[in-house]
Amino acid sequence: MTVDTYRSYREWATTKLATRPQVSVVIPAYNEEIRILPTVGAIATHMSSRGEPWELIVADDGSSDTTVALLSGLRFPNMRVLTTDRNGGKGSAVRRGIAAASGEYILFADADQSTPIEQFDHMFTRMREEGLDLLVGSRAAHGARVSGKSILRRVLSRGLRTFVRVLFDIRVRDTQCGFKLFRAETAREIFARQVIDGFSFDLEIIYLCHRLGFKVDEIPVEWIDAPGSKVDEAKVVARFLVDLAHIRLNDLRGRYEPRPTVSASVPAPRSRTHGPDDL
Amino acid sequence: MDLTTSDLADGTVVTLVGRFDAHEVPAFRDSVAPLLDRDGDLVVDLFSVVFIDSSALAELVRTSKLAKERDTRFALRNLSAPVRVILELTGLHLALEVEDAATVREPS
Repeated sequence: MTVDTYRSYREWATTKLATRPQVSVVIPAYNEEIRILPTVGAIATHMSSRGEPWELIVADDGSSDTTVALLSGLRFPNMRVLTTDRNGGKGSAVRRGIAAASGEYILFADADQSTPIEQFDHMFTRMREEGLDLLVGSRAAHGARVSGKSILRRVLSRGLRTFVRVLFDIRVRDTQCGFKLFRAETAREIFARQVIDGFSFDLEIIYLCHRLGFKVDEIPVEWIDAPGSKVDEAKVVARFLVDLAHIRLNDLRGRYEPRPTVSASVPAPRSRTHGPDDL
Repeated sequence: MDLTTSDLADGTVVTLVGRFDAHEVPAFRDSVAPLLDRDGDLVVDLFSVVFIDSSALAELVRTSKLAKERDTRFALRNLSAPVRVILELTGLHLALEVEDAATVREPS
């Protein structure tokens, strides 16, 4: 960081971009009123300090708390808040966010900042140097630093990874980490085919990338368990196993054939830019 | 997160380094509680804090209230850029005393 970090943030927070963003950051959010402002603050500070034009898209997933109101109150000209009336699942929220993103690269990041935004830097460098289509933040790759993850979650994760590797022949060891960097064209093509609305959408997009021959790799990241996680281990495992079967069946039934456009495949969101001009 | 305390002529400075989140709140509370009964100011230096979450913000507010009850001055010092931004977004820069609030410091 430079001494101009705060000034860069203020510039981003008050002046609408005049050019296409190089990076779009997409955050899916569901009832995140406790965590969303610190996360937005950390991301806005860091991404603004890098110097590239960037935008922030928060895809709310039908929150019943004050998440949307808190975000709207920020009045950032380069942030869009996508809203919907129903809680459609994390996959559907990310899909809406990807459809709305206009950057050349799209980072999908969880709302809890469990993977610190600073991890973006080495991801972005490697993404461009190696010409990758998707770079997956990984808690299982050599060099990853994971803290606060319970023994139960570690055991379950390892078991599911083995299952995924055997069943799908996917080499990415951590399909579920909420920190993934896409080339925009790749993201649009994958999310136009992707159909799972729940949290297993991560596995589905990696599966699709492999199936379609996209260049995918993973990179070790730092990950800190965020207290207040909404994860219920038993339900997650059960749902994940069901979704694994769905992905296989979907493929066999031809549901991963291309659809016209990603925006045509999602329920029409009430999308708007919350900025000074709105009030 | 690393936490160190330094005794100065006018009070105590608690210096935090790293990520100040819910995992770190118990250690912060245990370290700060005895300092509230000392004479002089209690100042938290946030120069090297890279992220602060809602639980940690709540703990700073709680500590501020406890300090006020004891007539101890409690203030934040040397805000890093992300901490300053997060305080502003949450409005807590108005509720907590921030020394030299117009200045933001950067770890090198």
